[in-house]
Parts: sequence; C-alpha cells; structure tokens
Amino acid sequence: MARPEAKLKELKTAESRHEVGARSELVVRVNRRSERRIIPYGEEFLFEKLPVGTRVIYPPPPLDPLADADQAIRYALLHPENQDPLFAQLSPNMRVTIAIDDISLPLPQMRRPDIRERLLNQVLQTLADYGVDDVHLVIATSLHRRMTEAEIRRVVGERAFKQYWPDRLYNFDAENRAELAMLGKTEHGEEVWLSRRASESDLLIYLNINLVPMDGGHKSVAVGLAPYQSLRHHHNVGTLRDSHSYMDPTRSALHRSSDRMGKLIHRSVKIFQIETAVNTRMYGGMLDFLHKNEDHFTDWDRTRLKGFQWTMRNMSSEMRRTVLHNYAAPYGMIGVWAGDTETVHQKALARVFQQYAVPVKGQADILIVGVPYICPYNVNSIMNPVLVQCTGLGYLFNMYRNKPLVREGGTMIVCHPLRDEFHPEHHPSYIEFFHRCLAETTDAVELEKHFEREFAANPTYIHMYRYGNAYHGVHPFYMWYWGEPARQHVGRVIAAGCEEPEVAARLGWEAADTLDEAIAMATSELGRSAEITYLHLPPLVIADVE
Amino acid sequence: MSVYGHKKSSNGHAAKASKRRAAFYDLDGTLVDLNLVHAAIFTLANVGEWSGRVSYLLGFAARIPRLYIAEQRDRRLLNTILFEAFKGISRDRLFSLGEEYCERILFGHLFPRAVELIEANREAGFEPVLVTGSPDFIVAPLARQLGIADFAANRFVFSRGRATGRLAEPVMAGDEKAVWCEDYASAHDLDLADCWGYADSHYDTAFLARLGHPVAVNPDRRLRAAALSRQWPVLHFETAASSEQPFDFDSDLELNHDSERSTRGSDGSA
Repeated sequence: MARPEAKLKELKTAESRHEVGARSELVVRVNRRSERRIIPYGEEFLFEKLPVGTRVIYPPPPLDPLADADQAIRYALLHPENQDPLFAQLSPNMRVTIAIDDISLPLPQMRRPDIRERLLNQVLQTLADYGVDDVHLVIATSLHRRMTEAEIRRVVGERAFKQYWPDRLYNFDAENRAELAMLGKTEHGEEVWLSRRASESDLLIYLNINLVPMDGGHKSVAVGLAPYQSLRHHHNVGTLRDSHSYMDPTRSALHRSSDRMGKLIHRSVKIFQIETAVNTRMYGGMLDFLHKNEDHFTDWDRTRLKGFQWTMRNMSSEMRRTVLHNYAAPYGMIGVWAGDTETVHQKALARVFQQYAVPVKGQADILIVGVPYICPYNVNSIMNPVLVQCTGLGYLFNMYRNKPLVREGGTMIVCHPLRDEFHPEHHPSYIEFFHRCLAETTDAVELEKHFEREFAANPTYIHMYRYGNAYHGVHPFYMWYWGEPARQHVGRVIAAGCEEPEVAARLGWEAADTLDEAIAMATSELGRSAEITYLHLPPLVIADVE
Repeated sequence: MSVYGHKKSSNGHAAKASKRRAAFYDLDGTLVDLNLVHAAIFTLANVGEWSGRVSYLLGFAARIPRLYIAEQRDRRLLNTILFEAFKGISRDRLFSLGEEYCERILFGHLFPRAVELIEANREAGFEPVLVTGSPDFIVAPLARQLGIADFAANRFVFSRGRATGRLAEPVMAGDEKAVWCEDYASAHDLDLADCWGYADSHYDTAFLARLGHPVAVNPDRRLRAAALSRQWPVLHFETAASSEQPFDFDSDLELNHDSERSTRGSDGSA
C-alpha cells in the first residue's frame, strides 16, 4: 500500500542533525591525561599512546538512516531527476541491462538485505509489470575479480538469483572481445569501450552504492563496464598525479576523464542511474566502541577492546581472516536518487560529504594512518603489501579536500605488519609485480613504460581473470599508480609495526618496529615541535583542510 | 617465491624482447583430465588377439598393489612399474595404438581452456614445450596435433623391435623434469627465469620451482599447499563436459602438422 507522497518525501530526506561546520569537536588534541588511541593494524587493532599535542581527527557520527528504505527507493523510481519515471520509459520487447556495483562496495560487506537487493527487487518488479522480458543483470567488475556464485547470491538476493543466474546474471568480462563495443573517442582522444550488451540495450540501469565521494557518477558505467582499452586513458600515472584528490571530483583528473567518457556513452546509450549513499555505521553491537572517542571510553568499552584484541591475537591467521571478512556492517541507507546521471550524482555527493566532511585547520608535518584488514580489492582475500600501499598512500592520503592533511615533504606513518603474503588465486599478477617489477624499480613511470602492457596482455593472467577469480593482470599497476600523488607529495613513508623490513624496503618505505619508534624517526628529522596528526579510523572521514 | 630470495631474471626489462621464452606444460591432469593409467589400460586392452589382451591386462592387474604403493612414494617408481607391463609389444604396434588413443580418447579429454592458453601463450611469444611422464608414442601425436615442436616424454628401450619393459634414461618424473628443462634452456638460449611452467602434481614441485613463473593447475592437495606457501598462481581448468564441447581441432585451431621436432622422441634424437 502506497503511503501519501508527503510522507514519502519526509522519508526520503531524513533531516540530518550533523552540520559540517558544527564538527569542531571531532578534532581533538592529545594531552597528558588523554587515553590511548585505537589504530587499525592489519587484522588487529593497536591501542597506543600518542605524543602530547597530537591532533586526532575523528569521523562524524553516522547520519540517521532513512526510516523506510524500500519506500524511499519507490519514491526515487517514481520521481527521478530530469527523467521520466522508470515505468514511463518501459515498453514490452525492449532490451534492458541492469549493471550492479561489485563486491568492492561497501566495506565491510553490509548486513542483508544488501541495498542492491532492495533496488533490484523493485526495479525487476517494475520491469515485469510492464512486460519487459529481455533483461540481463551484469556485475560491473571492470578489471576486478569475478564475484563467486555465493558472493553474487548474497548481493542480489535470492529472488533475482533464482530467476536470472547464471544465463542472465553474470560478471562483466573485459577480455571477451566479442562482447565489447567501441563507442568512439572523446575530444581528448580517449577510446571509449563498453560492454556490448549494455551499449546495445534500449535502457541501461545502473545500481550504485556511494561509500565515498570517489564512487558513482559517470565513473559507474564508464569504468565498471569498460575494459583495459578504456581504463588505460585515466588509470595512468599522468592522470592520477593530476588528481587532488580522488575524493574531490571537482579537482580530480581521473573524474574529469571518466566524465568525458560518460558523456560520450550517454550520447548513444540511454542510462537510468540509481545512486545510494550509506552512513558510517561500520561497526555495531559489541564492536560499536570502535566508533568512539577513546577519551569517552567506559570500563565496558575497555574490556571489550581488550577482549577483542586478545581474541584476534590468539586466532590463527586463517581463522582471523575468515571471522573479519564474514563480519557484516549495519550500514544504514541515507539517500537514494534516480534519473539523470549528473543530477543524481550531485545530490548523492552532497549527502556523502555531509556524512564524511570534517573541517581541519592547517596541514601536519607527520600524518599517522592505520591500514585495516580490508580494502576494495581484498574482500574475502589477503591484504598484500601492494594493497597496503594502495590503501595507505592511495586511499587514506587522499581523504581530503582542498589540501592534503600532510604538508609537502612531510612524513606519513603507515601502521601495518606488512607481511610478504599474497592470495595466489585472487592476486596472481600482484605476486610477479611485487617480486619482479618492484625489485627493479618503484618509479611508477618506469613501471608503466616497461611492464604494464606485458602484464595486461599476459595470457595466464587473462585466463585467471576470465575463468578464475583473479584480478586482471594490469591491476597491481593501477594500485601502484593510485599511490602516486602521495609519493610525489610526501618526503618519506615509515611502516610502523612492520614485521618484515624487506617488504617495506621493496615498497620504498622505511620500517619501524613500533609506532613510538616510527614517530621518533620522523621527529628526529622534523624536530620535536613537528605537528602530528592521526586520522582516526574506523569508520571513514574526509578532511576539509583550510 | 619470496622477497628474500626471488629468482631474478638475468635479462632486464630492456633486453627482454631479444630473448626466447618458453612455456613448459605437464600433460596428465594439466592439459587433459586423464592420467597415465588410462593410456596404459587402453593400450594393453587393444594389443594383439583377445588372448594376448587378457594376458597383458592380467599382468597389469597383478601390478596394481605395487602401483598403488609406488604412487604414494615415488613417481619414477610408478612409471617404471607401469611400463613393465608393456614388455613384448612391438614398436610399430605401440605407435599405431598411440595414434588411435589420441584420436579416440585423448583429444576429447583436452581441457578446452588449456588449448586456448597454449595458443595465447604462443601468440605472446612463449614457445610451448611438453614435459611429461607419458610415453612418447602417445605424446608425439598429441604434440603434432597441438603444433608443439618440442617435448620430453618417457621412452621405451626396444630390443629387436619389441619393448623390453624398461624405460630409457632419463625417466621423466620428479626432479628429472627440472634437469631436462635446464638442458633444454641452455640448448635453446632460454632463461628459465623468464619461462612459465604448468603442472598439477606435487611430484612436479621441483620442475615448477626451477621456472621463473610456476603455475599450479588443478593442483592436488600437496601441490596446492606448496603453491600457497610459495605464492605460485593457482589456475583451474574445467573438463570439456563442464565447460563446453570438446575441442574441435579442425574448426577451432589452425595447426602446423609438420612441425614435430622431438628433442627426446622415440628415436632418441636430441
């Protein structure tokens, strides 16, 4: 039974109690009486005393989720931005493709029902109501690994899975030349390739989740359903060096390039974009203390932290990994919009920044970050050293707008054990990249020039990407390029708590046994008055640096 | 593979284009979903008159307990015991049965994706080489069909045109495969650090470890454990039945049928 429209509007735009300007309490200074701070450290969490004067930036509390997510989705489909409602665009015998964000979002995986399942159920029902039978569901993996059957089932839900798997629900294959179409070149000469099925559809519906502002928009289709031939135009050293930051689409050459491609795609493919945003409720229940300012910890919070640390320390690494990756976050949906890609994305972006942005005054000399057990490319897998580099220098460094959190020539301290560990079925080309390419050079330009094409065309890696569950052969290069703006900007990177110094050296980093030692190494060069900032995770935060 | 002691290619990236590269493939379990025992039973069940066949099959059956024990212990011993059962079969008959076995059985059991990978590797500049414990009278027709010029296979010792039941040295099993690859590399100006290798059994660990790019294909439990600990890529081929129709050589592949050049064929030519 439909609710009155006024009620639906109210549901759709749940009022936020959190204004960006009122978040000064999220930046705190450590003093003598301050509690120790939780720092992600691979599959564990450190609880470390930080030097007096250290600035700690906390993520904003989670925004209130929409009271009724299903009603909000229905409202969005009926009242899209700058397009007719979905039902009005349908006719029997038309060909429809639904592209879906893959397992790289959100992190950690969300509790069931996944947002994509909610969206799919309503979209598929609408298509069925209007007699549209020729429907394919494509997981927009681009060069990511194929999702397994169980992973797809979890994301799309039982109903869609039973009806469409495996003939009409499948992973995108960027190496199936017969299923790719070239749509043209942008004014910058960028080749635009797309899934043939999507390009020949009467309507392409994209189901997106915006975890961070880097996601969504034209990037969804132009990257998610595109092969190497397209991606190499923006996933390259030059473009990424000109992105300041990835989280600020207005100042990101990566986004400008994918926008150009997306606009070209729009000229030949009709796209109905559905974007959603989730709040930052990553950990709930017994783990909700991870969101708290440690100065406000109760005895119960400290007990839970100690219990959690003890449990993690005493598990085998296999068991620990399984437990962590099976954890499902109680994310709440804080917005859903549908219709024209650009309008929808602007609204989604505004909501995402409302969730993440924290005003910060001035840059730091030393930035401390903790790399957790998960990043977009190791779901149900191992966080290997190349991905640690990507998460630390690629993602966490880029959690800013305006200016980086650390000054030019400053020091980044990355907390992670940094073990020489790889998943041979998910990351086979990473192994060769790390052991062979990085052994020769860490210069991204040299790597791009001498090795990228070889890995992109390697038959074994292509085979493992197409028929196994491996990331594409070229993927580790993209992960390395991802850290390029940080490498260009900071003076040194120190791996704190590094268990294998040879691994840190291979990445071009220095190694320290402990965080204290890493801070001492950094301050020995920059002086004891050096400004230290700790970017507190989890969940996530974007610093608006003045 | 480890950050502490990785085999570094002797030729840097700049010089790579000038060097030859090869991809070494094991056969049984790697490219086909059959093993040596299938080939042996087929051969023994089709040799001579019915009385001869019964005699050979009974001889094979009597060896089964020893074969089982050998399989647990040593691949070379397994090959030695298995091929004893072929004693007395004429050389001509073995080679004609090898052709027949390939035509009727083996080609239909090739992993379609494996054939695709061989071709893709060839296009990428990796010359295919078979390194297998299967007998040469089976490997030769298969290699010819796949357009593979070089292979290493087990060879019988013949006396007056009949198999003696003994294998000529080196017996292709375990470490011998690695030694053969080294000899082959030095003879063909290859750097093994630039070469790829594909195998399915833990008996092939030494062979894979000798190559710069080892890949475990449909690995058994022990090879899988070795691959995980050594960070070797793990690859899975599905059977023809579960992936698609058996590979059709006539329509799917243009092959060079005249390119056979065995380095250790039955005539012992190097």
